[in-house]
Amino acid sequence: MKPGLTMRDPTAETASDLRSRTAPLASPAGKTLALMDIGKMRGEEFIDRLEQLCRARGVATRRYKKPTNTRVAPREMIKDIATHCQAVVIALSDCGSCTSCSTHDLNDLDKKGLPGVSVLTEEFRQAFEAQKSAIGLDAVAVYVPHPMQNRTTAELHAFAEQSIDSILTAICYSAP
Amino acid sequence: MVRASFPDDGLLIFAKRACETCAMVEPVMRELACGGLPITVLTQDDPSFPSVVKAFDDTALEQSFRFEVEAVPTVIRLRSGKEVARTIGWNRAEWERVTGLPDLGPGLPAMRPGCGSKTREPGVWEELVARHGDSGLRARRITIGEWDDEIEACFDRGWSDGLPVVPPTDARIMRMLEGTSRRPDEIIGHVPPNLAPITIEKVAINAVLAGCKPEYMPVVLAALEAALEPDATMHGLLCSTCFSGPILVVNGPITREIGMNAGINCLGQGNRANATIGRALQLIIRNVGGGRPGEIDRAVLGGPGKYTFCFAEDESDPTWMPLSVARGIAPGRNAVTLFQGDGIQGFIDQRSRTPEQLTSSLALSLLAVGNWKLCEFTNAMLVLVPEHYAIYRDAGWDRGRITSALHAAMVRSGEDVIQGALGVGEGIDVRRKDEMINKFWPEGLLIVHAGGQAGLFSAICAGWTGSRFREESKIVTKEIRL
Repeated sequence: MKPGLTMRDPTAETASDLRSRTAPLASPAGKTLALMDIGKMRGEEFIDRLEQLCRARGVATRRYKKPTNTRVAPREMIKDIATHCQAVVIALSDCGSCTSCSTHDLNDLDKKGLPGVSVLTEEFRQAFEAQKSAIGLDAVAVYVPHPMQNRTTAELHAFAEQSIDSILTAICYSAP
Repeated sequence: MVRASFPDDGLLIFAKRACETCAMVEPVMRELACGGLPITVLTQDDPSFPSVVKAFDDTALEQSFRFEVEAVPTVIRLRSGKEVARTIGWNRAEWERVTGLPDLGPGLPAMRPGCGSKTREPGVWEELVARHGDSGLRARRITIGEWDDEIEACFDRGWSDGLPVVPPTDARIMRMLEGTSRRPDEIIGHVPPNLAPITIEKVAINAVLAGCKPEYMPVVLAALEAALEPDATMHGLLCSTCFSGPILVVNGPITREIGMNAGINCLGQGNRANATIGRALQLIIRNVGGGRPGEIDRAVLGGPGKYTFCFAEDESDPTWMPLSVARGIAPGRNAVTLFQGDGIQGFIDQRSRTPEQLTSSLALSLLAVGNWKLCEFTNAMLVLVPEHYAIYRDAGWDRGRITSALHAAMVRSGEDVIQGALGVGEGIDVRRKDEMINKFWPEGLLIVHAGGQAGLFSAICAGWTGSRFREESKIVTKEIRL
């Protein structure tokens, strides 16, 4: 990502230059977790397993799927998530455009009061850091191995199993 | 310093097509090109100029900036890569001295002045410093993505009061700093509620956000200094559950110089200086002080004045003593008065014909400030419009007499305003039942003359409840340092 306009911080600079994210939920009890599929290939298989794991832990979920990973989520989808859900997991970014768009989605939902976490492949750690810096949100991500497009379904399910604890901890203070 | 690569021994000529002198010396450039020394003409506006020698495109002005070119044409002699001589404009003797070549420009006049360099056109220099130089600014840099919207980026970072702000780029901040002679790193004080130190540079950054022009800076600085006076109780005013915020009244010739509005709709929208000076103070409190609504700012309702509330007093009537003078500032000096107050309550009286009638009428409305039964609890500001003031003026009444008559008209019997009287729980301490009670402290009623010439509609701004602690919270007036 190329840098754009540079400005100067008008604040006292006593805090990070990133806006604090919405605080995690105290507990997922009685809450609904949005599972947003960014629309990238193979992400669905990872989210299928994530959904099973959430249910097994008593976490209610609601599935969403973006029409394309190359654009930010439609306004209606953001509104629906904010209306029906209290936290969000956005998965699974393994390219530049999806990293950028999904971080914007995370920011839009954060501004609506939903703590969120983005799931990306390791290769996009730096891109996510750059994007969150540009957006100005102290956003949180969980990483799975890269590449993922050539994995078997079983391997993608294993990624979900390995990351479920980190994902729930990112959005709940007391994760089940 | 990074300069483009030019021959170590040679001549540089900075020029632009729009400059008549540059066009006139085009034949001289050809002479120089044949003179043995490598010559580079750097053109600021049109790469096809001059046609007689190949031009170096400096339309981005980077080389003109790096060589600190003030005017065109500028001729620079480089020797071993270093500048050893320079001349500006056309002066045959000077050009011959710098180039070492004789008999230049036969047929041309002996001398002709050039034009200003494009680097010195308004707004350009600061942009060039921001791009290629050292702005000297200390505040943290925030770089957004190439395709990100800068206005949205400012919103996202929480720098806005809800309206769009002007992105604080280095060039804009440097231009804003031109509005004051004070050093950018000077610390003015500590901004509540977080008591964070604030430098002139941070003031300038927030003034950019607010949309100020550089010439407003002295007023913004005085307003901030007023707010930082302990007597102004800015901390309490900001965090209060009440409606209040700082209301700024500006006096003196600077109000005319920077185009402030003291006339029609002066308490309303539409004047840049009024709007942005008040807004700058509020943005400083938000961004530097950390006073954000819903966090430490706990106003139950707030008020539109918390975006901005700043206006000038109408000093055009010589019979009227300006507020600043009444508050101890010498006549003709510039000052800002900070009144801790709310939005306006309209006062309508189109029937009074004498000062006495008008005083009684005004007193009735002023008594309603805060609560009809609360006394010595808040201050008040009366914005007296010209047509109302004319009733006083024509009868020979001045500021002092109007003020004392209003205070006298608002004295009431304690038994009418104690808690419980008239079936209303609110009121003053029941132990004052037998006293005669003033509505306001003697210093607690400010009168400001402002507004359009037509309309018998004055305004009352209720003061903040914190002023009930008379010695702790006071109206503050600060002289503006130019």
